[in-house]
Amino acid sequence: MNYWAIFKKGIFDQNPIFRLALSLCPALAVTSNVFNALGMGLAVMFVITANNVVVSIVRRWVNQKVRVPVFITIIATIVTLTQLMLEAFLPALYKELGIYLALIVVFAIILARAEVFAMKNGIVPSFFDGLGMGTGFALAMLLVGTIREVFGTGAFLGFPVLPASYNGPLILILAPGAFMVIGLLIGLFNVIGEYRSKLAAQRGEA
Amino acid sequence: MAHDAHNEKDSSMLKIAMNLAITCFIAGAIIAGTYSFTEPVAVQQRVKIKNDAMKELVKDADSFEAIQGKSDWYKALKDGKVIAYVVPAESKGYGGAIKMLAAVTPDAKAIDYKVLSHAETPGLGDKMSEAKFRNQFAGKATDDMVVVKTPTDKNIQALTGATITSRAVTKGIKEAVEAVAEYTASVKE
Repeated sequence: MNYWAIFKKGIFDQNPIFRLALSLCPALAVTSNVFNALGMGLAVMFVITANNVVVSIVRRWVNQKVRVPVFITIIATIVTLTQLMLEAFLPALYKELGIYLALIVVFAIILARAEVFAMKNGIVPSFFDGLGMGTGFALAMLLVGTIREVFGTGAFLGFPVLPASYNGPLILILAPGAFMVIGLLIGLFNVIGEYRSKLAAQRGEA
Repeated sequence: MAHDAHNEKDSSMLKIAMNLAITCFIAGAIIAGTYSFTEPVAVQQRVKIKNDAMKELVKDADSFEAIQGKSDWYKALKDGKVIAYVVPAESKGYGGAIKMLAAVTPDAKAIDYKVLSHAETPGLGDKMSEAKFRNQFAGKATDDMVVVKTPTDKNIQALTGATITSRAVTKGIKEAVEAVAEYTASVKE
């Protein structure tokens, strides 16, 4: 199997937020600035990759009938470990992510990858699947966070990038702005996706 | 495939229960192990964050000492003398509770405050954390802590578009100053 293809599909073709529309809650809630968005993205990337690897290792011993509770237990363990580590070593980020960090446990995308991919594949492909999906998620969070912070407050990571006279629309930082930004981006990604599949079809015919 | 190996016998109730129980046991053991390792660090971090916050409020202080019988009250010491009290303050703002740490002089005047957590509107109410608004409290006694909308030297000028937040912060700080005044009076007796 081609690991690059496994990795790559999470970034565009099956991007968790823009193409699969999974785990939209954090994409709305913690993307009002780039720092939080990226922190959340990286936390999810870590959890999804670690979970895929662990599920792939233990899949032979997991009873088919209790696989979902077992997966959730594994995810909860990894998230708790992440939480403990962040609290000890990155308290600022821990405080900002707050409740959303614990919510990673129930992110649809993580359970979905365990069920769809890691349960049926070996350790190395599962690792790349998780890493790719996590990267796609983190990039999507970064994109939404950048748009909202730059146009909402005129700053990037807290440093002003637009002239001080720029008075951004407040709605971009509030929750409705997140809905609009994500809606427009999903539309954009669909257009690009259609264009790409048309190109691929033409190439196939030729 | 992995689960093809599971036959009828493997699906008995006991086997299923054992499977889940073992998973939970291992998970619990791993979390307990990590906790015992990270908790001491986390405690240190919490103390450090608190000390940094207090140091920021009372820059002259050499050390901070917890006050007995008052939870989360600290006195700021310089050369063994109390130069300020750092006390928690809380008030209900526009979006919910605003939690603050207030620094008050022993003669019941505000010095400064730090917002610890809040749910005010970004861009409007959250400007309460900025120095421009905060500095209005420095050196004020409770009588002068009145929110007004016009520019003022004597009182507190409200934040544009966030009068409720301004009033809430002022009320919280005022109560903190009053509490300190009461405390210092009781200590002197």
